Amino acid sequence: MFSALMISVGAVTGISALLAVLMVIADATIGNYGEVKITINGDHEYEVKGGKPLLGTLMEQEIFIPSACGGRGSCGLCKVKVKEGAGQFLPTELPWLSDEEKENNIRLSCQLKVKNDMSIEIPEELFNVKEFQAKIAKVRDLTHDIKEVTMELADPPEINMVAGQFVQLRIPEYELTDEPVYRAYSVASNPSDTKHVELEIRLVPNGIATTYVHNYLKEGDDIIFNGPYGDFFLRDTEREIICIAGGSGMAPIKSILLNMAERGIDRRVRYFFGARSKKDLFLVDEMRRLEQELPNFKFIPALSNPEEEDEWEGETGLITDIVASHMETGDNTEAYLCGSPGMIDACVKVLSEKGVPDELIYYDKFG
Amino acid sequence: MRPGVLTLHGFLGSDKRDLIEILEEDEAEVRRMGTSHRAIADKMAYLRDRGKDGLGEFIDVDPHFEVRVDSVRGGIPSPFGGPGLIPKTNTTVRNTALQREIVYTDINIHLIGEHGFYEGKGSLFRMEPHELVEILEVETEQQQTELPSNR
Repeated sequence: MFSALMISVGAVTGISALLAVLMVIADATIGNYGEVKITINGDHEYEVKGGKPLLGTLMEQEIFIPSACGGRGSCGLCKVKVKEGAGQFLPTELPWLSDEEKENNIRLSCQLKVKNDMSIEIPEELFNVKEFQAKIAKVRDLTHDIKEVTMELADPPEINMVAGQFVQLRIPEYELTDEPVYRAYSVASNPSDTKHVELEIRLVPNGIATTYVHNYLKEGDDIIFNGPYGDFFLRDTEREIICIAGGSGMAPIKSILLNMAERGIDRRVRYFFGARSKKDLFLVDEMRRLEQELPNFKFIPALSNPEEEDEWEGETGLITDIVASHMETGDNTEAYLCGSPGMIDACVKVLSEKGVPDELIYYDKFG
Repeated sequence: MRPGVLTLHGFLGSDKRDLIEILEEDEAEVRRMGTSHRAIADKMAYLRDRGKDGLGEFIDVDPHFEVRVDSVRGGIPSPFGGPGLIPKTNTTVRNTALQREIVYTDINIHLIGEHGFYEGKGSLFRMEPHELVEILEVETEQQQTELPSNR
């Protein structure tokens, strides 16, 4: 009986050891694609170790493709044109790619593994994207569910960006995640302050990043982010400007307005900001200061459901109705929108009905 | 279903039961309450659709709900397969009569309505059927047959 037991234990141990050896061999051979070359835009060449997704491989070369989902294939931001070396489309890419994109060899870089030499195309401005180490200089409550976070850059010490762009904040491991995740947030500070980046972060229920920012992040903490990204910025024209935002959508609009004031841009601007009640309004004093600095700027907050104690005398109703009542015509007007997809869809409809051409309505829409 | 494939944490949480057991036990609870997965999902969708009128802020929905609908970037495919991506939309519903609040996502609506799946226990986005029925005041099947629909 005892010898039978020992034989069984020995057999199981032997099989386990054999399987472990086989796994090591497989990892060293089947999973080892060796050194491969990635050529970007025809003239930047990188020797990299094959086998990992393209997104992460490029990140190791300090080339940061935008991603809001940490490479899980659930945001669609990390699209890259792959001219050569990609192979067949993966099932996890297909929901994100239109027929036109497939014809143009657009791939989801977080899903596509680097297995051989590749030639890819990315916007040149992504070479300006860097990873920054920073310190949390200030954390301030703007409302009951929005925090303003100011980061002081350490390495590199300065950032070169345009008002309206966003960065990706790295959330470290903590209670809700056992690996770092990246999330995208618009920058609220004036880009002329190259040593600081300010974000406005609204708490999302069960949100991994926003829960960390609201419950764990504190002044003096070290933080990492990369950027800048995005093409939401003020166009250089003489048209009148309509801005519409709600909640943390204030961030890029504030950055644009601060920059306009500093540069003395004297275009007519009307900024409609929607909130439910007075406790959801913030930075009103700062907007009123900007009205002094920009004589043609008007801040128009609107509450959809003010409470009695608010003693609210301003505009009341949904922001779309307020915009419609204030706009006579969309002639010679361009619009900048930032908020929830529902708000943006509703505002685009109103603006179009007033005659603002679709191509002059700029927004950063999720989904 | 497992962590790191479609979402960071997956859909099964720390649940030691297999998927069939999870589905069967939640199905039994829903039947005990006299309602159905479809009725629960329909009420979730109804409040979400009404909440969209708030354009990202809380809005009153009769008889005594406050609802806010917001989104984050991207979408998620269903772990059960099928075409398309489900938006990452969060709906927060406050029942002011009961002083209770619940938050759910569009993928919760899809998983419950199409598959009777409320996610595993310990999952960050697990929906307890009894909480949904109580807070959203989901009608029982008897109530649905007795009363005309007001929607």
